[in-house]
Amino acid sequence: MREQLRGARFCVIALSTLMSGFSAGAMADGFVVDKVYHPYVNPIERELEYRSIFVESDDAAVDGIQIHQFAFAHAFAERFRGEFYLIGANRHGDNLSLEGFEAELLWQLTEQGEYWADWGLLFELEKERGKDIQELSSAVIAEKEFGQWAGTVNLWLIYEWGGDVNNEWETELKAQLRYRYARFFEPAIELYSGQDFKGLGPVAVGSARMGEGRKLLWELGIIFGVDSDSPDQIYRVMLEYEF
Amino acid sequence: MSRRLGLLLTFAVCAVPARAATPVIEIEIRDHLFLPSEVRVPAGQKIKLVVYNRDPTPEEFESYELNREKVVMGSSKAVIFIGPLKPGEYPFFGEFNPKTAQGIVIAE
Repeated sequence: MREQLRGARFCVIALSTLMSGFSAGAMADGFVVDKVYHPYVNPIERELEYRSIFVESDDAAVDGIQIHQFAFAHAFAERFRGEFYLIGANRHGDNLSLEGFEAELLWQLTEQGEYWADWGLLFELEKERGKDIQELSSAVIAEKEFGQWAGTVNLWLIYEWGGDVNNEWETELKAQLRYRYARFFEPAIELYSGQDFKGLGPVAVGSARMGEGRKLLWELGIIFGVDSDSPDQIYRVMLEYEF
Repeated sequence: MSRRLGLLLTFAVCAVPARAATPVIEIEIRDHLFLPSEVRVPAGQKIKLVVYNRDPTPEEFESYELNREKVVMGSSKAVIFIGPLKPGEYPFFGEFNPKTAQGIVIAE
């Protein structure tokens, strides 16, 4: 019971932080809605991943934008996983164009279940294609399990620089509260707070075994903007094949 | 900024180690079998499982019910913390040899 109360407190902290305006963030010139990272690395696992978001907004400048990320990940050590991304975008059925590249390193700091919460660090380096824009990001990842529930928080610090962008620091918050109902279906609610977007919405998460050592994971959600500066809603989808 | 620092400090303070008295239970993987395949643990208490893989090939300890997924490299060992568990049965299996590597944790 005490564990559950502590877990609930963890989520209240995340929620209250968001609602009190945990500042800005998110790829200032992009979108904060992406995915909530978990702090776990499983040695020797490899992953192929596709993620996408689709923006619906009254603001014609962003309405209809769709961002796609294709990635390959490999856990090259017991506590480290590297991932490389190709980032593309299109709009209203236009051809998909390659917009940038990204390298990512996830570092699992603690063993799952060893401490009150599980901890990890994430580092990302992103380069925009054809422009002098770079972005270096780091995130603290915390996850707390309480009964059938799991709460996860990602706190980001981002530095963006280059000749085609204003050099600036940003912060960002992503959080997820998930109910572990069944392997193939786990309902969740996600919260996002960044420079250009503050929102929350329902997400469904699940996985299916595809044979020995192979697994398909999926996430599907819709995040509603909660202030006038945010797009009305952002749809997000992720498919991941582990092998 | 102080709010953010406060939040980070809160997280840091929460990261206290597990109690020294955490019971330790050892399991072996041999010939793609978990030995023992039935593990009895006290309910309501955190447990440290030490899984020794005596096979030369990797195996993955997996259990949705325990919310754990951990690769144990060949001829190596891994530590898995589970619980505190409610009384009940929690099956686990080896992801790379699911037909033979099966077991159950019984919390009582």
